[in-house]
Amino acid sequence: MAISTPRPRMKSPVSAAAPARSVQTKTSGRAFNIVALIVLIVFAIIWLIPSLFALKTSLTDNGTAALGASAILADWNPTLASYASYFTSGNIWNWYIASAITSVVTAVLTVFFASMTAYALSRLKFRGSNLVMLLIILGIMIPSQVLIVPIFQELNAMSLLNTYWSVIFPQVPAVIAVFIFKSFFDGIPRELEEAARIDGAGRWRVYWSVVMPLSQPVIAAVTILTFVGVWNNLLLPLFVLSNPDLMTVPVGLATVQGSFGQRYADIQAGAVLAALPLVILYLIFQRRIVEGVTGSGLKG
Amino acid sequence: MAMSDRAMTRRGFLAAGLGAAAVPLLAGCSSNLGNTVASGLFGARLPSETLVFWNLFGGGDGSRMETMEAGYRKKYGPNSLQATTFAWGNPYYTKVTLATVGNKPPDVAISHLTRAKPLWSGGLLEPITADDLSSVGLSPADFSPAPWKEQRTDGKNIAVPLDTHPIVMFFNTDVCRKAGLVDSDGKLKALDDMDAFESALAAISKVTGGVALTIPNVGGETATPWRVFWTFYNQNKAATPFLSDNGSKLTVDEDVFAKVNERLQSWVKKGWVNKALDYATAESYMFTGKSGLYLEGEWEITTAQSVKGLKFGMVPIPNLYDQPAAQADSHTFVLPRKDRTPQERHQAMLFIRSMLDQSMTWAKGGHIPAFQRVANSAAYKALEPQADYASAAKHAVYDDPAWYGGSGSTFEGIVGAELGLIQQLASTPQAAMQSIKDQLSVYLNTPSPL
Amino acid sequence: MTTATVTTPRSRSARETKVRFNSPLQRKDSRSAWLFIAPFGVFYLAFLLGPTIYMFVMSFFNTSTVHAGLGSFAGFANYAEMLSRPDFWSSLLHTLQFTLYTTPPLVILAFIFAVLTNRMNRGQWFYRLAFFLPFILPSATISLIWVFIFTPTTGLWAMVETWFGITPGSGVLSSPNTAMIGIAIATVWWTLGFNFVLYLAGLQEIPRELYEAAAVDGASAWEQIRFITIPQLGRTTALVVLLQIIASLKIFDQVYLMTSGGPGTSTQVLLQLITGTGFTDNRLGAASAASVLLFIVIIIVAIIRQLIGRAAARKEA
Repeated sequence: MAISTPRPRMKSPVSAAAPARSVQTKTSGRAFNIVALIVLIVFAIIWLIPSLFALKTSLTDNGTAALGASAILADWNPTLASYASYFTSGNIWNWYIASAITSVVTAVLTVFFASMTAYALSRLKFRGSNLVMLLIILGIMIPSQVLIVPIFQELNAMSLLNTYWSVIFPQVPAVIAVFIFKSFFDGIPRELEEAARIDGAGRWRVYWSVVMPLSQPVIAAVTILTFVGVWNNLLLPLFVLSNPDLMTVPVGLATVQGSFGQRYADIQAGAVLAALPLVILYLIFQRRIVEGVTGSGLKG
Repeated sequence: MAMSDRAMTRRGFLAAGLGAAAVPLLAGCSSNLGNTVASGLFGARLPSETLVFWNLFGGGDGSRMETMEAGYRKKYGPNSLQATTFAWGNPYYTKVTLATVGNKPPDVAISHLTRAKPLWSGGLLEPITADDLSSVGLSPADFSPAPWKEQRTDGKNIAVPLDTHPIVMFFNTDVCRKAGLVDSDGKLKALDDMDAFESALAAISKVTGGVALTIPNVGGETATPWRVFWTFYNQNKAATPFLSDNGSKLTVDEDVFAKVNERLQSWVKKGWVNKALDYATAESYMFTGKSGLYLEGEWEITTAQSVKGLKFGMVPIPNLYDQPAAQADSHTFVLPRKDRTPQERHQAMLFIRSMLDQSMTWAKGGHIPAFQRVANSAAYKALEPQADYASAAKHAVYDDPAWYGGSGSTFEGIVGAELGLIQQLASTPQAAMQSIKDQLSVYLNTPSPL
Repeated sequence: MTTATVTTPRSRSARETKVRFNSPLQRKDSRSAWLFIAPFGVFYLAFLLGPTIYMFVMSFFNTSTVHAGLGSFAGFANYAEMLSRPDFWSSLLHTLQFTLYTTPPLVILAFIFAVLTNRMNRGQWFYRLAFFLPFILPSATISLIWVFIFTPTTGLWAMVETWFGITPGSGVLSSPNTAMIGIAIATVWWTLGFNFVLYLAGLQEIPRELYEAAAVDGASAWEQIRFITIPQLGRTTALVVLLQIIASLKIFDQVYLMTSGGPGTSTQVLLQLITGTGFTDNRLGAASAASVLLFIVIIIVAIIRQLIGRAAARKEA
């Protein structure tokens, strides 16, 4: 703000798309800012309403919730009964465990395997690197969802249907992760590695003790993105996990019908429970997640 | 130095990977969770002391099934049963199929009789032997003849019928009384020929000032038009199967098809039958007296009984042509293909027996019990209005066996949609027939994948 | 961006190949490179390239879900069937319809929100939370929330309609004419955050000097957006649109969960046709043929995207 005054030649404010903490004047700029602020706040609230409404409904009793939106909004007797019904009966613990195991194991495997491949592509000269690069580019264009039919058949042949591996294995070859790692490794100065090489360290040692420790931000990003992606996946687990004991949270909620009646509060509590770990993750790793999504979006 | 470093980090890496998988494993070891995790990781069998039962019942049926499940638990212990309900129709049968293919099916599953046949031809069901039945004190004579005969396939028993659920005619007592169709004890007069039925429609139409009979046919409703058509079609002596050879031949009698549908269109044109109503609205017409009659499966009894102040009755759909008939299906118990110990197999049969014994609870939801000890009991015969339409089970006509057929199937979807268009007067019977042929040609010409 | 990273090693290696593989050290490099690639490579071959090839093979057979093996040879029958099925084309049409409904709001709203948020001195975390949080929620949560909001007569949507004097009808999702709009609204709410953060990232890259120069020349706020921001974000917009088209082709979750393709088949999309044919009709062969067709469409769009990206990169260079 202070910057604008010492620049007398400026006729109008730098505005609109200019970044924050920037040049602004007191007249039209301020009016624009106020309008912008109001518009933004209104839309932000609109965007928050569905989630908050679901949360509110989940804290209402089923009887009131059945009466409709106005009754839910007017109700001031919050209850945790719907959540209790999930935790006392039903499969929610099984589902959480399935989601947690598949998400964590896939993320760990993806991070290691993708970063190793990216390291080879970034640092090692070898015959066939062109072919590998070509396959990777090809892989990024293959829409994995379209492969649901052959993957089902393959998992069936391997007797892996209805195991966690049927969800984990097909999601490990995330080609995008190789790209993210490779572009990060390309940016790491080679001098650091060369020093280690001169000391006699092998490639594995360099990768493990020099490159990976320097790559914590990108490791975090890929881990979180993979975790979120696997947690949220519906299509694959929907068809490879058909036993309610082994289902992930989204699949369980989507396929297993609750007991009789329109238990709206219970249903919304389920929606909240499926999302809860991710919301917590977001609140902790907000910046990393946004950066990771941006990075993968720009490359994918 | 370098060596120990490397060992450290590698161990760290392994620990991280294993730890992630092991934490929930350890946490769950003391309980059933441990078994589940073992099953998920190593494909181990799920614990067998609990019987796993899948069904597709929502609404009133769902709550009555829960009551019956509670009855089983009371007898065999609180942890003796794990029951899961899936979304009705194709999603459910897809789950049953994929779970069986993927080697983790339930011990017992509900299946419509018409859907049990494709499951059987896909090799997904185990036959139920005479020994199985006698081990829990059952014999073929314990079941109503129609569903029992219908389930026999390739000389084997493929399913144990729980009920028969035909389409019936609901009537609004007040409206029909004003139209002079109800006798002194509240029963609907017999309307078993075309003239009597049409004059009744005319009379009701006068009372309501609008339609006399409602049949839902829009809003995605394809099953009811099919049920109504299949009922009237089979009341004709000349009726042939719609599909033959497990769905590879279209053998419908087109003259009867045209005759039945032209008659329906004439009712619509006279204003006796609605042109386009969805399921809930068509039903509410009868509830609120905007129409006098309503054609739907008997399960709607639950909804009708919940309407305050409504006086209604239920009868078999009148015989308007040569012979009585009512489209129907049966809920049955099937045993999906699975490695079982003799004890597990016996327990599955005990479960089925326990459900059959509670058929009275089930009958309150409108379904006609297949278990004769209940169907012939004084208690069932005293149940009103169930007793008034129980005879419909004798004339039950099931959908033709086809790998894409049965309740809620692709076949019903295609044909029912065209029948709905006929009722809307948006298509002629001839044009609809042509469209049915076009759409079914893919399935007729495709070898069955089963 | 992809293209830039991709082309460099290829052109370099072509020239260096001759020199490279002479020394024993480099041969050792080559061996460790394959060891580094092996674990990922196994999964890549087993669960990406392998299934792709197997999909092509299966599409020529009458493969069944319930029997082992490929089944009898079908030739091009599965393709002929799919291309002549009305529901194949209507599914493609629904995808197009979905793209048309979702892309304009996803581009325009995301752009406006990003430009405005970027301007704010404080509270950016709040706007990010509001707009971005839905994006990381599972589709099951999204669908349960919106189906509930769209409950006929008593739902939140109907309540808002009454405020505006509209009589709530039989429900957005129950009519074939509006069901896809309902799905589109839920999708815009869900995925806008993705485009929002892409635009925010794009905005950070616009040189400040451009705005300062424009301000010196007396350009108004609107003129600065019109002549600097929009053109500068052109590449981001092209990316957003193409990603949206590809995402639309692969849409499954929301439709399956909110309408299961109904009423009738009015919202059925291709992945539903594929899973329906494969897992409900038990015809994996026919489902594979449909998968191959969808695969080809997606690859074509992806290639167009690469070409546009390459052209843009060349222009910049």
